[in-house]
Amino acid sequence: MDRTGAAEPFRSAGSPGVGEQMAVISTTDAVKEYTRGGSVLRALDGVSIAVDPGEFVAIVGPSGSGKSTLLNLLGLLDEPTSGTVTVRGTDASTFTDDEKTKVRRETIGFVFQDFYLLPTLTARENVAIPGFLHGNRRETLARAADLLGRVGLGDRLGHTPDELSGGQKQRVAIARSMVNNPAIILADEPTGNLDQTTGGQVLDLFGEFTDEDVAVVSVTHDKQVTDYADRVVGIVDGRLDQEGVP
Amino acid sequence: MDGPLGRRFPVAALAWQNLTRQRARSILAMAGITIGVVAIASLGMFGATLEVSIQGTFQDTASSVIVTPGEDFEGDEFDADDVRTVERFSTAPVYPLRSDSANVTSLEDPREIQVQSVTEPTVFATAEEGRIPDPWRSGALVGSSLADRFDVSVGESLELDNQTVRVAAVLEPSGQASIVSTDNSVLLPERRMEDADIGLMVVKAESPPAAFQLGESLREELNDRRERFAVTDFEQAIQQFNEQIGIISTFLLAVGAVSLLVAAISILNVMLMSTIERKGEIGVLRAVGYYKRDILRLMLTEALLLGVVGAVVGLVLSVFMGMGINTLLLGDPFAFQPSAVGSVAQGFLFGTVASLLSGAYPAWKAANERPVDALRD
Repeated sequence: MDRTGAAEPFRSAGSPGVGEQMAVISTTDAVKEYTRGGSVLRALDGVSIAVDPGEFVAIVGPSGSGKSTLLNLLGLLDEPTSGTVTVRGTDASTFTDDEKTKVRRETIGFVFQDFYLLPTLTARENVAIPGFLHGNRRETLARAADLLGRVGLGDRLGHTPDELSGGQKQRVAIARSMVNNPAIILADEPTGNLDQTTGGQVLDLFGEFTDEDVAVVSVTHDKQVTDYADRVVGIVDGRLDQEGVP
Repeated sequence: MDGPLGRRFPVAALAWQNLTRQRARSILAMAGITIGVVAIASLGMFGATLEVSIQGTFQDTASSVIVTPGEDFEGDEFDADDVRTVERFSTAPVYPLRSDSANVTSLEDPREIQVQSVTEPTVFATAEEGRIPDPWRSGALVGSSLADRFDVSVGESLELDNQTVRVAAVLEPSGQASIVSTDNSVLLPERRMEDADIGLMVVKAESPPAAFQLGESLREELNDRRERFAVTDFEQAIQQFNEQIGIISTFLLAVGAVSLLVAAISILNVMLMSTIERKGEIGVLRAVGYYKRDILRLMLTEALLLGVVGAVVGLVLSVFMGMGINTLLLGDPFAFQPSAVGSVAQGFLFGTVASLLSGAYPAWKAANERPVDALRD
């Protein structure tokens, strides 16, 4: 796969054409408005984007441009004011809260900017937490150990987060996003806290995942990430805009 | 969490881990519940045990019915016919009490004292020294205060109205609540006092309720429109006493409840702080596929664990305190009253329910936070 960072224009969303793969998650004309102190703030202004299996998409743009809002819509953490979010062809607005939760658990992996690891749990338990209440715990724990090995933390299984460095915590968070065998990983500044070398390791990991047909969407400011991505999508003032793309 | 218990009860294990994060805070919240449970349990136990202790003192009196001459009685005192009349209607033994005064002539300075006679002295008195003769034909039984005052003891003689009687026994002090006070009198066999007046009759029933019933039937049977016999039982007094004990118990329970309320508020506070501090973390759990009800369960379990652990400690402390109270009031550390056990159970129940209730709002709040809001910095 070409990882030189040549930014191909974003695909339009919607049903896949003949011979095309069905997008994992897509948005169509997604608008998101917030009401703050009486005035309406439009964070997203008609965004259509589709993410295919195995694709690495980087989303770039100035702060406040709507990147995180878009990521929240793709992750079913938030609903658009108008427009649709579609998961494997199904309109997400038809899902109940429980169904959305189930889709998140089975289809989506999250890597949050602040890791959000549970301080009392070991690295392995933190990775396994998504499968703790629902699913086979024993299998999940085994898979957690396996994933930690893959992110180079095979010797840190029993360590708690305060015994790990920032980069190690980030890798635990990435392992957690993979524990449920997701079809897509949504990452918010995954390299933001990391030095160049560690950042490179994280990107190589994402590369391995995309080779397994897992899609990765990453909000980033980091050139290292945009260079690595299959596709870079720029967003300015809530609209997709290729001008901001490096 | 990988242990067998953690595998079996993942929510409880996760909840327990969360509580260990702010160890001091969790312990203090538990201590609040412990104090509340101990307060409710020990105050309740104290009330129940006090009631039993006081009732024990009054048991004897409350089981008696006293018959005295009524308003419409001809003459001043009863005679043997009146005793027979009462005996005819009574289902329990009737003890006429004769009393008179006599001069102790063996003293340099003769003193007048009270002499009494009862048919069965063992019903009303216990010998401290010597023994009460059975059958009782001769010999005097001397009340404890009188024996002290005149410095007489068993085997010595006492001269009453120039007649000599041998002291057969010195009696134990009669309790405050006893009907026939023997402390300042000399008890003589009936045949020596056949002429003395019968001031009152005591009917001894088996229990206070039996006495209340008997009192009522005697009152009806012995009198027509005129009240020849005044029949007194202690039903009203006991009722009043029970009401007062009830008020005291309620008051003590209220004091305990206030301390439990304070404890519940402290748990509410701890859980609220916890949900605010862990907002992001809870958002992540929701994001990675935990249902609202999972979060609700987790938070409620945390509150419940605080309550249960606090209440168990409170329970153990309460049992020890109960043993202290039992020793103090009843003389036996293991004399737990059924209602005292009930108040311990009540304390435990209140403690756990209070913690669950105060955990409900924070849990609901945490579960219903939209993950996107929870994750926003």
